[in-house]
Amino acid sequence: MSDSDDTSAEWAARIVEAAGPLKDAMGRRTVSVSADERRDLDALLDALARLTDLADQSGREVKHDRLNIIGAVRGYSEMLAEEASKLHPSIAKTLPPLLGAVESPVALTGKTSAAKAGKQKLVQDPGVILAVDDLPENRDLVSRLLSRVGHTVITAESGEEALELLETMGVDVVLLDLMMPGIGGAEVLQHLKNDDRLRATPVIMISGRQDMDQIVACIEAGADDYLLKPFNPVLLQARISAGIERKRWFDREDQYREQLERRERFIRATFGRYLSDEIVEEILESPEGLNLGGDLREVTIMMSDIRGFTTLVEHLPPQQVVTLLNRYLGRMTDIILEYGGTIDEFLGDAVLAVFGAPKKQDDDTERALRCALAMQAAMDEVNEANVKDDLPALSMAIALNTGSVVAGNIGSERRSKYGFVGHAMNVTSRIEDAAGPGEVLISDSTRAKLPKALVVGDRRELSAKGIEEALVVFPLTEVKS
Amino acid sequence: MTGNSLKVLLVEDNALNRDMLSRRLDRAGFTVITAEDGAAALDEMRANAPGAVLLDMNLPVKDGWTVAREAKQDPALAAIPIIALTAHAMEADRQKALSAGCDDYATKPIDFPALIAKLEALL
Repeated sequence: MSDSDDTSAEWAARIVEAAGPLKDAMGRRTVSVSADERRDLDALLDALARLTDLADQSGREVKHDRLNIIGAVRGYSEMLAEEASKLHPSIAKTLPPLLGAVESPVALTGKTSAAKAGKQKLVQDPGVILAVDDLPENRDLVSRLLSRVGHTVITAESGEEALELLETMGVDVVLLDLMMPGIGGAEVLQHLKNDDRLRATPVIMISGRQDMDQIVACIEAGADDYLLKPFNPVLLQARISAGIERKRWFDREDQYREQLERRERFIRATFGRYLSDEIVEEILESPEGLNLGGDLREVTIMMSDIRGFTTLVEHLPPQQVVTLLNRYLGRMTDIILEYGGTIDEFLGDAVLAVFGAPKKQDDDTERALRCALAMQAAMDEVNEANVKDDLPALSMAIALNTGSVVAGNIGSERRSKYGFVGHAMNVTSRIEDAAGPGEVLISDSTRAKLPKALVVGDRRELSAKGIEEALVVFPLTEVKS
Repeated sequence: MTGNSLKVLLVEDNALNRDMLSRRLDRAGFTVITAEDGAAALDEMRANAPGAVLLDMNLPVKDGWTVAREAKQDPALAAIPIIALTAHAMEADRQKALSAGCDDYATKPIDFPALIAKLEALL
């Protein structure tokens, strides 16, 4: 194979050239280097020397060695760049161009043969084309035709080589010969289409007229287009341009998807801890329904706490207090999430949850009521486990209130969370203070939405100093059978 | 960097890459032991109980796939996570590494920060 055909040789030559200033700097006696960095620099120079040694050789083995050495050059130069602050500035400044050369097998800037020729009209949107053909004359022809109009052409002489190259470099369009010894065009295509990262790269098959059946099979397997040999140069260029356009479209789609994923991660991070997985999924499906900036909405607020908790645990060792709290809060969290509530906060032994935000549902109040009953019912289990562990039995009071709150991401730039503010929150807190052990006490506004299946006990009035209006509340008693 | 005492076995027959990677891992805070072929890799795993193995696939004596398969069948070694280092472009080869029992893979040329992330995820 000719030298110009082996992309790795060109790549190696660019790397050696880019390393020139580093070698010069190292040769200067005035530059001091610490022992640690000296070791890595020596290893890097050694690898570069080996790369230079291989310059005039060719063949599959040589190419393999070359790629291995390039891997080592990359590793050492990245490592040194990470510690650039420890290096003498005259050495540190030589690393970025070397890293640039090592990073991409294709020269990103530089003269194309088209620019040299200066005659042929350049295409508007040049791309990187991988031409795969076992015959050198075909590779040469395609290279000439396409680089003349401004494309960067990489060639591979076998399916194996093509797959190796695809792995390391960004290719816009693959021009793929069907009939090759070893891994044939159809198989390369199949590998491409099975690889998530390569699937979107357009593939144009090239074959003789007699292979039409296989071309059809390739199109069915995901090839984008085909050309029959001997091909018309104008047709080739037209198909390549169409392929590049398709690739750009895929790339844009990719970027768009990435943006969506970033948003999804943000939503998960914001809500994951407070909401059931189901609701997080629903929010992700229709993010437009979610106003994180803040909106006024009607919700049913739940506050619960353990009566006399502080006194109860006064004499317990801290570890046991934590065990006690986690068991109780763990169970309550499960129940609240099960009923579709949003847990806003744990305050010691108290839980603040909201039904109806961020997602509004018709039965928000009913779910809150049933949730409160389920929580009280679960206390038996919690206490059974407590008694078994010689821990005190707990009794919980719950308050429910329905009203308008402002919901949104509240806080400073450094720390913010989805939360709620409003008068209705304070009202709930007042009801909570009045609720007895084992009781679910609900406000009049919550009672107004009481489903038929639930009943309340006698009306009570709560009055507080400084507040003229008495608060009307009802104990939620039991579920009608 | 976390994991000062973290021991990683690097199995790679290419001396240049072996030296480079072990140097980088060392600087990243790992304790590195190395092996140059598949048989030696299994010996090192038995003798030194590394926290994880970075395993090249094309190795002399015993190839990486065989090493992974044998390690995962040996109750004493099965729990040691293995990351396949593969120069192969083909998805099929990665699948082959995973089905041989490798816990993850990294393609050459190695993206070092990504490799460290994979190591930390497994440890």
